[in-house]
Amino acid sequence: MSKKVTNYQELSTELDILLAKLQDPTTNLDEAMSLYKRGQIIIKELEAYLKQAENTVRVLSDDKVKK
Amino acid sequence: MNDPLIVSVSEFVDLLNQTLEFAYPSVIIIGELSDFKISKQKWIYFDLKDDSAKIHFFGTVYQLPGPLKDGLMLKVRAIPHLHPQYGFSLTVQHIALFGEGSIKQASELLKAQLLAEGLFDVERKRPLPYPPNRIGLITSAESAAYTDFLKIINQRWGGMEILLDNVQVQGEPAIDQLIQAVTKFNQMANPPDVLVITRGGGSVDDLQIFNHELVTRSIAGSRIPTLVAVGHEQDVSLAELAADQRASTPSNAAELLVPDKKATIAQLKITSQQMNTYLKHALQMLKISLADYKKSLQTGILQNITQYHNYLQNRSDIINLLDPQKILKRGYAIIYRQNQIVRRASEFNKNDLINIQLSDGSLNATVNKVITL
Repeated sequence: MSKKVTNYQELSTELDILLAKLQDPTTNLDEAMSLYKRGQIIIKELEAYLKQAENTVRVLSDDKVKK
Repeated sequence: MNDPLIVSVSEFVDLLNQTLEFAYPSVIIIGELSDFKISKQKWIYFDLKDDSAKIHFFGTVYQLPGPLKDGLMLKVRAIPHLHPQYGFSLTVQHIALFGEGSIKQASELLKAQLLAEGLFDVERKRPLPYPPNRIGLITSAESAAYTDFLKIINQRWGGMEILLDNVQVQGEPAIDQLIQAVTKFNQMANPPDVLVITRGGGSVDDLQIFNHELVTRSIAGSRIPTLVAVGHEQDVSLAELAADQRASTPSNAAELLVPDKKATIAQLKITSQQMNTYLKHALQMLKISLADYKKSLQTGILQNITQYHNYLQNRSDIINLLDPQKILKRGYAIIYRQNQIVRRASEFNKNDLINIQLSDGSLNATVNKVITL
């Protein structure tokens, strides 16, 4: 399994959780600052992934891999 | 003229079968179905007829494209054979419906049966993973459907593994190949997240396999969630009804399977801006809170000062009231003897030297007489 794909989904889930915490009025400012910084890093990584990742095609009968 | 052949009955049957096998190893016959019967849930018997002739067929239920009824037009591939006991018949190799009307009628019959079994129930539908990591693709690698699907999916999303099982999607072999492909993916140790079964549009006859009972059942029975896309807008096929999701075309299937990365990147930019807004809001709220604290603090200090002032005033009033000088002014006197205050008449003796303090001065005196009450 492609490691990048797993990373995308993990990062995407982490971003969702992080956004919810950031919107929570009980989150203190120190934590909000930390969440904000982490969120911006995740967004950059997701953007890079989306711009670079390619699909692979594997034909079952002869196991040839195409891009 | 040659002499006539003299043979036994069995020899004649063998001879005729050899001749038939040589001349007609397999024939395709088109005709109207009549006297259709199923025996012991395994064997099928029927006739095909036209205006002037009728011939008998024998086969198994596994060769049926679905439920049949008399009057449907069939195209049957079969081997002619003379049975030593039961006479002439054709042994079925493949049965297909013939003509748009019959295809539709048979499809309706099968649809009613599968509907009653619950194969198309909404409760059976599973959500497809969005986006999937691995896609099992069942289609013909030479088809436009394959090209269209790959083009759109590559445009929209990346990082996925697409496992292609290259199968025929029309004609007799397509049925077995489709079923085997679904089975193969389902038996994988690490199966894909979703199965996509697709082909482009075609005639009603071309698309018949997607109304085949066994194809429909194999899709309904897949452990892996399924997406079926047959390129036609009218008359949804039974395979599509049995699938977890259907798409109108191969391109539409790709659109349904994955998000559009351009839209996702745009959404990420919006999310980034939202995070700025959330943080600014949090800072603003903190400023408001600090201002409130400051105000509360000031109000509290003022209140404390006022309270303390009132307390002091109160004590001052009490002290003033108790000032001995003020009491002396009211006409009272304090008597000292040897610098000690004497409070009772009985404590005095005649000739005691005493000092009497008044509000404006004092007197030295001698006690002449003690009078007690």
